[in-house]
Amino acid sequence: MGLRTGNRKGGKAQNLIPQLSIDLCKKLLSDLEKGKRPVLHATKCALDNAIYNHKVGYLTPGNKKVATELNVSSVKKMSRAVFMLEILLRNIETGAVNTKRELYYISKGEIKGTPMLKPLDFTDQPESDDTIDFICELLESYREDMNCYANDRGGQTYSQQLVVTETLPDGDIATIDLSMLGTSPFQPKNRPQNLRLTAKKKIDFALIVESEGTANTLVANGFTKRNNCILMGSQGVPSNAVRGWSKLIQDHLKIPLYFFGDLDAYTMQNIYRTLKAGSAASLIRNQDYSAPDVRFLGVLPEDIKKYDLFDYPVRENDAQEMRSLKKADDALKNDPFFHDKKNKGVADILRWLLKNKRRCEQQAFFSVNPKDPTMPEKIILDKIKRGDFV
Amino acid sequence: MSDKKISSSSTAEYFSKNLQQVGFSSPTKAVLTTLKEAVDNALDACEEHGLAPEIKVEIERLGPGSIKNSERIRVVVDDNGPGIEADDLTKVFGEYLASSKFGRGRCTRGQQGIGISAATTWAQLTCAQGAKVTSKTKAMRKAVSGMVEVDIKNNKGVIKNRETFEWDRPSGTRVEFVFDGRIQVNGEAGILNYLLGTSLVNPHLTLHYRLPEQEWQKSPRVTSTLPVIPEATEPHPHTMKLGEFIAHSHLFGKVKVSGWLKKGFSRISDQVMNEMAKEPKNGLAKGIFDKNVDQLADGDFTKLFTAIQNTELKPPSTTSVLSIGEDAMSKSIQRIGKVDFFSVVTRKPTICDFKPVQVEVAIARLEERASEGDSPVQVLRFANRVPLQFDKSACAIVQAITSVNWRAYGLGQPKDALPQGPYIFAVSVVSPFIKFKNASKETIDASDELVEEIRRTLMQAGQKLSRYIKAEDKANDLEEKIRYIEQFGPILVEGLARITSAKEDQKIRAREGLMKILGRDANEAKNQVSEANRKLEIQKSKDVTEEEVEE
Ligand SMILES: Nc1ncnc2c1ncn2[C@@H]1O[C@H](COP(=O)(O)OP(=O)(O)OP(=O)(O)O)[C@@H](O)[C@H]1O
Ligand SMILES: [Mg+2]
Repeated sequence: MGLRTGNRKGGKAQNLIPQLSIDLCKKLLSDLEKGKRPVLHATKCALDNAIYNHKVGYLTPGNKKVATELNVSSVKKMSRAVFMLEILLRNIETGAVNTKRELYYISKGEIKGTPMLKPLDFTDQPESDDTIDFICELLESYREDMNCYANDRGGQTYSQQLVVTETLPDGDIATIDLSMLGTSPFQPKNRPQNLRLTAKKKIDFALIVESEGTANTLVANGFTKRNNCILMGSQGVPSNAVRGWSKLIQDHLKIPLYFFGDLDAYTMQNIYRTLKAGSAASLIRNQDYSAPDVRFLGVLPEDIKKYDLFDYPVRENDAQEMRSLKKADDALKNDPFFHDKKNKGVADILRWLLKNKRRCEQQAFFSVNPKDPTMPEKIILDKIKRGDFV
Repeated sequence: MSDKKISSSSTAEYFSKNLQQVGFSSPTKAVLTTLKEAVDNALDACEEHGLAPEIKVEIERLGPGSIKNSERIRVVVDDNGPGIEADDLTKVFGEYLASSKFGRGRCTRGQQGIGISAATTWAQLTCAQGAKVTSKTKAMRKAVSGMVEVDIKNNKGVIKNRETFEWDRPSGTRVEFVFDGRIQVNGEAGILNYLLGTSLVNPHLTLHYRLPEQEWQKSPRVTSTLPVIPEATEPHPHTMKLGEFIAHSHLFGKVKVSGWLKKGFSRISDQVMNEMAKEPKNGLAKGIFDKNVDQLADGDFTKLFTAIQNTELKPPSTTSVLSIGEDAMSKSIQRIGKVDFFSVVTRKPTICDFKPVQVEVAIARLEERASEGDSPVQVLRFANRVPLQFDKSACAIVQAITSVNWRAYGLGQPKDALPQGPYIFAVSVVSPFIKFKNASKETIDASDELVEEIRRTLMQAGQKLSRYIKAEDKANDLEEKIRYIEQFGPILVEGLARITSAKEDQKIRAREGLMKILGRDANEAKNQVSEANRKLEIQKSKDVTEEEVEE
C-alpha cells in the first residue's frame, strides 16, 4: 500500500488501523485477565451528537460516546466484532477488497469450516453489516479504509475538460481524459483519495443533477459541448462515491458547485443536506464525504412563478414525501445544519414547503418551452449568471 | 320487547315472520341457536331443581336441505332435569311468551319465553315438523312423548302422536329438532366453541356430545357443587326508559300505584313516595299513589316517571347475582385442553348503570397451540353463562380486552387490537338485567361503566398471569445466558488472543476472568428466577386478594 498519508483529521488512516486494532484487543484481553469488565466506547453517530459550524462546513461529532460493556448480553456482539475484525485485518494486510455482501459470505465460509465458531453465524446480511459498522465506530475508521466497499451507485460524470489521474493499488498510474469518452460517463469509485483531478482548460462550474436521466439528457442535448463544466448525476441520495467525488472536485479544482434537483422536503433534507454537509449517521466521515461549497440552484420556490412551472400538492399517499414533511419540522428545530444562519436560505425553503405542502420537480423546466430542448439549459445558465441560487 | 305488549294471538305470527331477530338469520346460526336454546333450558331447569345436569347433545346430517346452502339437520338434546308436566309440553314448545319469566330479574339463561318455541317454528317452516319431545317428571309414572307444533295463527301449541311409555330415568327431557341448517364445527362461531364455552362456565355439567361423523365425547363435571341461584330482584327504576316503565305497569293492572311501585321495583319505599309527593317540582297529582295503575293517563306516567328519575334512590342490591367462582373456574379451565398455566379472577358484585353485575375472567395458555404465537387470543364471551358467538367487535367484553395494555403483562399486542398468543380469554358477565345490543342477544351493550368493570377484572387477571410469564421468561433468560457464556466465552478469548498474538497463559487467565464476569451475570439471572418463582408460589398458595394484586 504505502500510499496513505495518515494525516487526515477525519477517519483514522488505513496504515494505523492494524496497530489500533491490536491495542484495542490487548486492552480487552488484559481487562479480562484482571477479571475486570471491559467497556468499549464508540462515537455516537446521531443528530443529537452532531455539531455544525459553517466555517467547517459539514456535520462533525460532538463528545457523546456510546459505551458497550461486556456482559452476557453483549458477549455475542463483541465476539462477532473480534471475529470480523480478524477478517478485515487480513484484507488490509493482503490488499484484498470486498463488498459488505462478500464479507457476509466470507464470514459464513469461515464459520462453516470451524465448528467451534458456529454460534457466531450470521442469519442474514444486516447482521454482518451491523458488525462491520460497529467495528468502524470503535476504531473511528472509514469502512473504505477497512477495504470494504459498498456497491456505490450514482456520480456518472461528463466533461470536455476534466482529466482524472488514478494511482492504482500496484502503483501504476492511469490517466482518463473525460473528453475522450464520447457520451459515456466517467464513473467515480468510492475511494476518491487515489484520484487527482486536473483541467485541460479552465472549468467554470460543476453541476450536480439529482436525476441521472436528466443529467444524461442535458449532455445529449449538448450541455457539456457548449459549456466548460463538469456535469454529474447524483441518482437520488448521494452515495459515498458521489459525496467523496464532489468533495474532490471542490478541493482539486476550486470551482463553484451547483446542485439542481426537485423542490421537495426529501430532496432538501436527504439529498442536498447530505451532499453539502454529510449526515448524522456518518459523522466520523463527513470531512471527506461532503462538499460544503455546493449551492442549491433550484428548483427554488420563486422559480415556480418566474417560469410558470407545473407544481402540485403533496399527495397523502406519497408516503416518502409525507414522512419528509413531518421530519422537516423536526429538522428546523433540531438539525444544526438548518439552524445555522448561513443556511437560512435552505431553511426558508423547508419552511415554505411545510407551509404550502406543494412540490415541483426538476423536470418541470422542460415545460417552459416544449419546442426548445435546450430551454432547461438556458434557464440553468441564466440562474447561474444572475446568482439565482441559495 | 317490553315497550309494547304483544297480544297473545299475534305473537306467534310476529315471531314466525321475524325469526332472524331471535337467532335464525342464517342456516349456520339456526343450528347454533336451536342447540343453544335447548341446552340453556336444560341447564336452567336442572339448576332450578337442584339437580346436577348431565346433558347429551347429538348433531347429525340427514341430507340436502330445501333452502339455499343448507342441509337437513337433526339436533337432539337430552337432559336429566326435572322434566315437564305432560300438559305443559304444548306451552313450552309451542307457545310464545308462555313462561313469562320476562323481567323477573334473575340470572337465569332464559329470560323471555321465546327461545324454544322459535326453534320449533323454524323446524316447522323448513321441514314441516315441530319438536319431537319426550319428558317425564318424578310425579309422572310414565314418560310422555309426542310432536309439538306451533299453531301460528293462535299462538297455541298442539301435540301430535302423543304416547306414554316406561322410561329409563326418574325424570328428564329429550327434545329433537329436524330442520334446515348448516353445520359449522370449528372457528369462533362453531359448535365446538359453543360446547367448550358451555362446559367452561358450567363446572357442574357433565356433557356428552356427538358431532357428525364423529364418536361420542364426554366431558365430566369437575365439581358436584351446584350454583345457587339467588332470589329474583326487581328492576331498579333508574335503569328504565319511559316506554319500559309503562309496559311494566301492564303486568300489574288493577293494583294501587303505590303497590306497583313497591313490588315492581327495587328501592322504592313509602318514605321515598312521600318525599316525591311533597316535592313541588314534581307536580304530581294529589293521591296519585292511591289510584289504580290502569286508571293512569299517559301524562300521569310521564310525570311519575320523571319524578322517580329525579329522586335519589339507593343503588340496587348486589345479592341477586351469581358467580362461578375462582375455584370452580380453575378446575373447569382444565377441560378446554392441556393448559400450561392460567389465572382466574372473580370480582365482587358491583353496580353498573344501576344494575347489579358480576364479572369473572379466566385466562389460560394452551399447550397445543404454542405455535400460534402471533394470532389473536381466542375470546370466549358469556352473558349469564351463555356463550356469545357473533358480532364480537361491538361487544363490551371485546372492547374491554382491547383497551388493556397487555404488553405490560408480557403478551404481544398490536395497537388497538386483541392481544396475541396461544391463550384463551374467557370473560363472563352475570346480571339479572343484561343489556344486549339487539334482540338476538349476541353482544353486550358497551356502556362505559360496564367496560370499565370488565377492564379492571382483566387487569387483575393479567397481573396474575404476568407472574407466570415472568417466571418463564426469567427461566428462559437464565438458560440462554448460561448457553451464551459457554458458547461465546472461549470464542471471544481465542479471537482476541490471535489478533494480539497472546501467550497461552494469558489466554487461560483471560478465559478465567471472563467466566468470572459472565458468571456474575448468570448468578444475577438465577436470583431473578428464584425471585419470580417465589412470587408465583405466594400467588398460588394463598388466594391473592385484590389489594395485594394491585401492588
Ligand atoms: N328441558 C327442560 N326441562 C324442564 N323445563 C323446561 C325445559 N325446557 C323448557 N322448560 C320450561 O319451559 C319454559 C320456556 O322455555 P323457553 O326457552 O321458551 O323460555 P325461557 O328459557 O324462559 O326464555 P328464553 O326465551 O330467553 O329462552 C322454561 O322457562 C322452563 O320452565
Ligand atoms: Mg330458554
